[in-house]
Amino acid sequence: MRYPFRAAFQSLYHDRWINLLSVLSMATALMIIATAVISLYNIDLFSKKLPEKFSMVLYLKDNISEADREDIITAIKKKGIVKTVRYISKEEALKELRSSLREADYILEGLKENPLPASIEVRLKKEAVSPESVAKLVSFLKGLKGIEDMQYGENFLISLNSIKRGLETMGLVITSIMVIGTIFISYSTVKILFYRRKEEIETLKLLGATTGFIRTPFLIEGGILGFAGGLISAIFLLLFYYIVFARLGSTIPLLRSVVFYPSMAFPIPFAGLILGILGAQVAIGRIKY
Amino acid sequence: MIAFQDVSKFYDTNTALRNITLKIEKGEMAFITGPSGAGKSTLLKLIYAAERPDSGRVTVGEWESDRLKESDIPFLRRSIGIVFQDFRLLYNMNVYDNVALSLRVRRVSERDIKPIVLDVLKLVNLRHKVDSFPSALSGGEQQRVVIARAVAGEPFILLADEPTGNLDPDTATGIMRIFREINAKGTTILIATHNRELFRSTGMRVLRLDSGSIVEEMRG
Repeated sequence: MRYPFRAAFQSLYHDRWINLLSVLSMATALMIIATAVISLYNIDLFSKKLPEKFSMVLYLKDNISEADREDIITAIKKKGIVKTVRYISKEEALKELRSSLREADYILEGLKENPLPASIEVRLKKEAVSPESVAKLVSFLKGLKGIEDMQYGENFLISLNSIKRGLETMGLVITSIMVIGTIFISYSTVKILFYRRKEEIETLKLLGATTGFIRTPFLIEGGILGFAGGLISAIFLLLFYYIVFARLGSTIPLLRSVVFYPSMAFPIPFAGLILGILGAQVAIGRIKY
Repeated sequence: MIAFQDVSKFYDTNTALRNITLKIEKGEMAFITGPSGAGKSTLLKLIYAAERPDSGRVTVGEWESDRLKESDIPFLRRSIGIVFQDFRLLYNMNVYDNVALSLRVRRVSERDIKPIVLDVLKLVNLRHKVDSFPSALSGGEQQRVVIARAVAGEPFILLADEPTGNLDPDTATGIMRIFREINAKGTTILIATHNRELFRSTGMRVLRLDSGSIVEEMRG
């Protein structure tokens, strides 16, 4: 085995308890990072799907003329953010209500006339759904004659957006803190190893070792610690997903909608490797002769 | 091989070396002597660039102190073997690995390292201790490992700072014999010592330092 690897493994073995502790700390930090990233991914996925279900319903005045109604539909169709416009007549509305009531439709029997208004259902292009674009459309629609009332999830839309932003910020903060944490764990581990081997390093310098020769075993150590931490975290994540999620999925339906592919765990050891090397690099700093 | 031109070195306000000019020729074996604190160690440190002169110039082979970059230092040190009073052996490695280390820093391949290590261990008469750890060796044996490590990389110059400081007289004589053998093969050797017995009746050049200046040059 080449010298730097042998030196790294010797040191890893020599200080195995402190190294094991570092690996476990790094595994924990990496698991938190992975959980935060996967959560962010799911939040993003979820919030992208929601606008597909977003629609506006415009209730028309009962006395509206057919020509006015057609004018409204044409005007709405011209708007760039609108995907589909569907006219629902009074009769169709009643039919839909009846079918949704099913056996309970007897409650409608006493009605002398159809109390439901005609309406226009507007669906928006999903990439266009934002509180701002909806507000703009709403103010345009308010200017149209013949519309009695409007229903759209204004509050829902605003809170969805702020929740999404809040969660994203939180996820980013957690991820950043944990990334720094992982680097710091590697930093402090390697720093301790570095101090313990101060004499050895001094001797190496006097024997004519280059900074690269001195540095490489420590970088390998940091990298191995990070990789091992990442490996443990990936294994735990997979176990957690398959055992906990698979078992609880049948009782908690929300868990079933969590998107997680096993391949998402693969980059974790490599992220650990990079963070470990980075921490070691910072710990060694500049080697002076 | 080694030249000091009007070299001075200060630590804070204390003068460690003042206006030193000297020359050690290729293949020479010379001694620096003087009381503790005379500047012997500083003089050696200037040669292997653990210290830089505050004025003047130190030349070692092709290296000149005023043009020496930090990245040159490892390469300068590979042309110098150093023997320390406190040995500076690595106690978690056996004798073989300690000696091999000076070849590994030179990126010599493992295949080539083995015969060299066994060869230099034979020179210091420690071939049988190749698998021992330094802590199991006597002071004299440890110092011989250090010498083996210093010469394994075939340096042009061998520096020794109080090489027999911790050793009994008989062992010291044995160490000096090894130095003369190495010198006979053409290696320039400079030994700093306060022990006059080491150079008595050797006929070699002795520079006496006192308070940072060369006060006497004589033959041992």
